[in-house]
Amino acid sequence: MSLSLLHEEITKTRAFVFKNWIMARRNVFTLLEILFWPSVAFLSVGLLAEFVALEQKMKGFILVGVVSMGALQVCQLDVAYALLYDVWSKAVKHAFIVPVGIRHLIFGSLIVGIIRGGIVFFLLVGASYWIFAFDFTVPGIGPLCLFLFGLFLNAAMVGCLVCILVLTFGNRAEVAAWSLVSLMLLICGIYYPVTILPRWAGTVAELVPLTYFLEYFRHFYGFQPTFTHVLARGYTLVITYLLLEFYLMKVALRRAKKTGLLLKLSE
Amino acid sequence: MKFAIEVKGLRKTFVSGWLRKREKTALKDLDLSVPQGALWGILGQNGAGKTTLLSVLSNLLTPEQGEVRVLGKNMPAHARKICRRINLCSGHANFLWSLTVRENLDYYAMLYGLSGRRRQQQIEHLIELFDLAEFVRVRFDELSTGTKQKLSLAKALINEPELLFLDEPTVGLDPDVARRIREYIQRLHDDKGTTILLTTHNMKEAETLCQQVAFLKDGTIKACGRPQELKRELRLGDTILVSFQGSLPVSTVSLLQNIRGVYGLQARNSSCTILVDDHKERLPQVLDVFVSNKIFINDIRIQESNLEDVFITFARGDH
Repeated sequence: MSLSLLHEEITKTRAFVFKNWIMARRNVFTLLEILFWPSVAFLSVGLLAEFVALEQKMKGFILVGVVSMGALQVCQLDVAYALLYDVWSKAVKHAFIVPVGIRHLIFGSLIVGIIRGGIVFFLLVGASYWIFAFDFTVPGIGPLCLFLFGLFLNAAMVGCLVCILVLTFGNRAEVAAWSLVSLMLLICGIYYPVTILPRWAGTVAELVPLTYFLEYFRHFYGFQPTFTHVLARGYTLVITYLLLEFYLMKVALRRAKKTGLLLKLSE
Repeated sequence: MKFAIEVKGLRKTFVSGWLRKREKTALKDLDLSVPQGALWGILGQNGAGKTTLLSVLSNLLTPEQGEVRVLGKNMPAHARKICRRINLCSGHANFLWSLTVRENLDYYAMLYGLSGRRRQQQIEHLIELFDLAEFVRVRFDELSTGTKQKLSLAKALINEPELLFLDEPTVGLDPDVARRIREYIQRLHDDKGTTILLTTHNMKEAETLCQQVAFLKDGTIKACGRPQELKRELRLGDTILVSFQGSLPVSTVSLLQNIRGVYGLQARNSSCTILVDDHKERLPQVLDVFVSNKIFINDIRIQESNLEDVFITFARGDH
């Protein structure tokens, strides 16, 4: 790749960073997404754990889940927003007449997602330490980074899925941006280990990479993982899904151009 | 001749409904060739397929059948390369609501890969060209309709396109802003030689701006040509109303009817109505007949037919 081509790639990716960043900065609700909802979930779950007098280890199990969930939710929203902002502005056709690829859209918005998700994560990590005396740095910087990176890749995966659904079913699928993560909450062992799930649900949990990343991080706190090679499995799955989603998004875009949905999203 | 757009046998059908599928054919075996550097108009009633055609040409819709070549390249096979060289401006402009005028231009410039000084220079140039300086820090959702439309045109020129699609660019604008937008379009075509394909419901706009117009009805092009040619083709012509002293002798009526380009003549007591192809060409000939036959003319009035008459004729299916 020539230097000018690389420069162009970076500029196009930057366009999505620019858009998401300004839209987030100017929208009071996006501030609530960072501060209000994750804090409410964190505090209510943490205080419940205090109330039922959970031992510190079990409290840690739940706090890892709730903090991860908050960061993932915010980060995946940004990826979904890359398309949803254009849908809400009725400017979809202007976004797809330009010579950009899906990679620019996903990577650009993911960068803002990582920043916003990172803010949520570190705010809640600080709050965990001060309010509930739970230390997220016990595993060390390396494992923490590996876990966080995996978490953000999971967010990209969910955000991509939202974009695919919107490009396939139109506006009515935008609700997926808020509901898909709730489904993960049920399946991936956010508040409980996946071993307590019914057999079929356990099988579904095995197919979701977040399950492995949570098990990876929790094993530093003395929880024996249900599966082997959790980190490798998690990364393999999430990267496979992302590649598959890139392809499916291209298919969905092609289909939206065929059915006229792309134009309808601009009306 | 080099063509910016070559369309052969284009067909586009929309299918809706999950259980009961409904089909609507928007474009039927459409052929169109637009030369490079031309400013052409696509006219037609609502639902005629104008926006569908522009959307296929700009890679927002994929054709079901037929061949589409834009700037010499096949669409959608070479869509990415073509998209660098084209752009679209549509009426009822919609952009990201929270972004200011400058930020919107910045965003779209980046999407075209423009960076650094080149991007800034291009944005400054467009802000100046469209008199947007006082609005650069105003959010899109706070702009007036006219300014939104100016921004839409500015955005459409951000990549200096060789081919520009304008989908009803002056719809909903007050006459003053609409006139200014038309001036920008004309200037853009004259100065840069940009090929422009525009759709409009404003016949006067099409007549002033477009070198040629194509009438789209039920997904096919019913006629294509210069406005004057179309009027001639439909024999709509202009009307010359002459009032004179006395009555018109049969020999004079016959002389008038024999003038080339006279479609019809109706004579009454001391007036006659002559339908001609082009009043500018035929009026001197008509006057010659009156003068040579020593008929004293009291009054002459001319009623020009316009593109609107052509539009109505095609829309009603009279042709």
